[in-house]
Amino acid sequence: MTDETKVKLEEAIVNLIKEYANKKRFKPGDVVKEMESKFSASGVTKDDVKTAIRDLTDSGRLIYGYAGGSFLALPE
Amino acid sequence: MSKKHKTPLLDELKKGKWPSFVNEIERAAEKSEMTDDLLGQVEQSYEEKVVHWKHGGMVGVKGYGSGIVGRFSDLPEKYPGIKEFHTVRINQPSGFFYTSDVLRSIVDIGEKHASSLFNFHGSTGDVQLLGAKTAELETIFQEYTKLGFDLGGSGSALRTPSCCVGKARCEFANYDAMHACNSITQAFQDEMHRPIFNYKFKFKFSACGNDCTASIARADLSVIGTWKDSIRIDQEAVKDYAKKFDLHKYVTDKCPTKCMSYNAEEGLKIDDSNCSKCMHCINTMPKALRPGTKGGATILIGSKAPMVSGPRLSMVLVPFYDIEEDAKNDYEWFKDLISKIWEFWDEYGVNRERIGELIQRVGIGNFIESIGLEPLPEMVASPRGNPFVLYEEYVEAGGEQG
Amino acid sequence: MAEVSGVKRITDIGPHDYNDFLHPVIKKNYGKWKYHEILSPSHMVHVSEDGDKIYTVRVGSPRLVSSSFIKDLCDLADKYSGGYLRFTTRNNVEFLLDKEENIKPLLDDVGKLNLPAGGIGNVVANIVHTQGWVHCHTAASDASGVVKSLMDELYEYYVNAQLPTKVRIAFACCLNMCGAVHCSDIAVLGIHRRPPRLIPDRIVNLCEIPSTIASCPTNVIRPDTYNGKPSVKLIEEGCVFCGNCFTVCPGMPIADPLNDGVSIWVGGKVSNARSKPAFSKLAVPFLENDPPRWPKVVEAVKTILDAYKKGAHNGERVGEWIERIGWPKFFKVTGFEFTKYHIDDFRLGEATLNYSAQIRQ
Ligand code: HEM
Ligand code: HEM
Ligand code: HEM
Ligand code: SF4
Ligand code: SF4
Ligand code: SF4
Ligand code: SF4
Repeated sequence: MTDETKVKLEEAIVNLIKEYANKKRFKPGDVVKEMESKFSASGVTKDDVKTAIRDLTDSGRLIYGYAGGSFLALPE
Repeated sequence: MSKKHKTPLLDELKKGKWPSFVNEIERAAEKSEMTDDLLGQVEQSYEEKVVHWKHGGMVGVKGYGSGIVGRFSDLPEKYPGIKEFHTVRINQPSGFFYTSDVLRSIVDIGEKHASSLFNFHGSTGDVQLLGAKTAELETIFQEYTKLGFDLGGSGSALRTPSCCVGKARCEFANYDAMHACNSITQAFQDEMHRPIFNYKFKFKFSACGNDCTASIARADLSVIGTWKDSIRIDQEAVKDYAKKFDLHKYVTDKCPTKCMSYNAEEGLKIDDSNCSKCMHCINTMPKALRPGTKGGATILIGSKAPMVSGPRLSMVLVPFYDIEEDAKNDYEWFKDLISKIWEFWDEYGVNRERIGELIQRVGIGNFIESIGLEPLPEMVASPRGNPFVLYEEYVEAGGEQG
Repeated sequence: MAEVSGVKRITDIGPHDYNDFLHPVIKKNYGKWKYHEILSPSHMVHVSEDGDKIYTVRVGSPRLVSSSFIKDLCDLADKYSGGYLRFTTRNNVEFLLDKEENIKPLLDDVGKLNLPAGGIGNVVANIVHTQGWVHCHTAASDASGVVKSLMDELYEYYVNAQLPTKVRIAFACCLNMCGAVHCSDIAVLGIHRRPPRLIPDRIVNLCEIPSTIASCPTNVIRPDTYNGKPSVKLIEEGCVFCGNCFTVCPGMPIADPLNDGVSIWVGGKVSNARSKPAFSKLAVPFLENDPPRWPKVVEAVKTILDAYKKGAHNGERVGEWIERIGWPKFFKVTGFEFTKYHIDDFRLGEATLNYSAQIRQ
């Protein structure tokens, strides 16, 4: 995965969570599946998406929430 | 005594010989003022017979999706000290071994930054620090990692695996459960701290069929010690036991496979090929009998509590796993099996579906096929009794397959 | 590693290596233990192939403990066991001693702290339990209070070995069962008996409707609308009071002081010795919460223990005893009423019926 793709991938993840804020709780597993298919042409793997989620949560752009299952959310 | 609250009902529970949790909450309140309000709220629950904790909120430490369980009082004005009273799950060392030095450091952090109240240990295995405020979580986390302790699992993630005391202090151990548990926990840090599963997943390691971790009842993956060769017999010690109690009544007659016999001349005889490694005879005569030397483990899968589709026990997946051999390889075979199971769960499972429920839904036959295992008679108590078989193929007159 | 306010954060180090905490005698004899001997309900010795010995002194704890409690234990460990101690899965503390002469003074000091020494052999083991009103939002009963009341009453069974074999009791305050009580000799389980109340404003704002519907094991939560927003309705008749919906959706509280209480289950086990592991079976469907001391629960558990002690052969677990005498006789000797609630009508429940004419007449 190129650095450019990585940036795009991270933006796409954040946008997905933004778009569905207060409508749907995205489990990390759902995000992985969604992004894997969206970025399949760029050769993005499951592990790439996991790494992107990890970087996003480490940097605090996304946080984990919990409501009967873990999900990704924007910081309050 | 609570400084702020009258607690006549809880005071009743300070009486009696068993150590009282009420005294413990009071002692914690002496160290941490916030904990005093816990006495007030629990007393109110005792009066009203209803719980006063509520759902809601998102708490954790940066980068992790687990390890902290948020807890908020539903009476925050009345009990401000416990407005936020979160649980911090801290990984226990394998076998729950400690030195006094490290234990003091562990509880000092709880005194300095939280409620001074602990579970040693929670049912999952972790040390639980009960009662931390949101603003203190990051500090607490950093203090524990500095001490060499990390957070445990919660949410849709791997729970901290746990194990029995095994080879450290038990002659029944058929494999090194503490080593396996520690190695597997280290290998799956990401799965523990960054929830990506449909639901929780638990490993428990018991080094013999006595199953001191109750793995068969409460682990998605239970690894239970067994052996391949013969039970080691010290015939002299058997004779000593025969002087103490009726060996037929208490040992041989109770063998579930009726594979043992005893008489004074020939001593104890065991048909090891028919022994199901149940541990009964060994438990009864620990000085005379020991498991064989070719130790390994049976891997079972799928136990869970009643939610949602009813409770289950674990069922046999791998009858004999040469875990001591795999240990030399850093458990590569085991980790590969786990990856296949998790991939299957990720692919076919739905939100909040435990692996045992998924297997029940898709059928054990389809499951083992997908993860590349062969059907074996050890997996069932008996073959099926009903004839509604889903045959997958038939032939047509021309010899083609349908 | 991410940084927070300039501090280098340590993450993903996992549990502390147990090797740092092992007693030297345990390190030396790791994997070389030959046999053990139970010397009393409060202590035992493990002997290695080399003849080395490690003594274990076991002490009960209430599980919910203060930092001061842990420091008391640490002081005892420093004085008598070189600072080495461990915990068991059932919340006991074990001091690991290489000097036999330290056992008695340690036990004396344990007594001075009013702590119970015992729990080894044919005893009532320490009761494993969950959080209850002290620290959980779904609890149908308190955990620590019921357990304290039970252990006060069963104290003699913990410190003296006087039962046919070990009896494992567990308590969970709701059907989530954080602690595997479902496979215990005697299990006390908190239960709700009234369907959840729907708070539509909270449901539409706080809950994910599809997962709320999916959470119900009996499919009685159905889609609905409220003020034009997706919500749920409930068919009360099919509710089995599991509380799973409340777990998923805070708008469906189920706790109810008048209807919450506990049930009692018997005859389960997890060990593979002799008979296979087994679930506990329903003995008493409902006893109301009567804090602070739950006398009816204590009495029911005592009734089971007394009948077991009287009727079981040496070495027989509670479940094996009942299996031998039959369930009808169990209800007779305990005096518990057998009701329609005892007959399983949930999924797979048919497997529990008697498909034979084998009856102890
Ligand atoms: C302060 C807020 C909350 C606290 C303290 C809390 C606490 C907990 C805890 C401790 C667990 C068990 C976790 C585990 O061992 O895996 C749990 C499970 C659960 N909670 Fe909450 N929760 C909160 C909010 C919510 C909310 C808002 C929802 C739903 C809207 C929810 C739904 C669930 C569900 C479905 C489970 C079961 C999932 C599982 O066992 O992994 N919780 N909760
Ligand atoms: C389905 C919803 C569930 C909810 C809402 C839930 C909720 C909770 C809560 C609130 C706690 C207390 C944490 C604390 O404050 O210290 C807890 C602890 C725990 N839960 Fe659950 N739980 C759920 C399911 C389960 C299930 C199915 C299991 C396993 C069978 C389980 C196992 C545990 C364990 C082992 C603990 C540790 C607590 C202890 O040691 O008492 N939970 N859970
Ligand atoms: C009688 C009262 C019961 C209590 C107090 C109770 C309590 C518990 C607790 C505390 C756990 C948590 C295990 C863990 O730490 O992971 C658990 C797990 C479990 N319980 Fe129960 N239980 C009871 C009854 C039952 C019954 C009747 C069944 C089935 C017939 C059952 C089946 C299970 C299963 C299969 C698990 C697996 C644990 C897991 O999902 O991780 N339980 N139980
Ligand atoms: S499970 Fe077996 S090997 Fe492990 S501590 Fe218990 S008796 Fe020993
Ligand atoms: S371990 Fe169990 S099955 Fe094997 S000989 Fe002993 S009693 Fe029989
Ligand atoms: S058993 Fe139920 S009420 Fe008790 S701690 Fe677990 S989830 Fe909470
Ligand atoms: S309590 Fe259980 S059975 Fe009743 S509605 Fe809720 S999920 Fe369904």
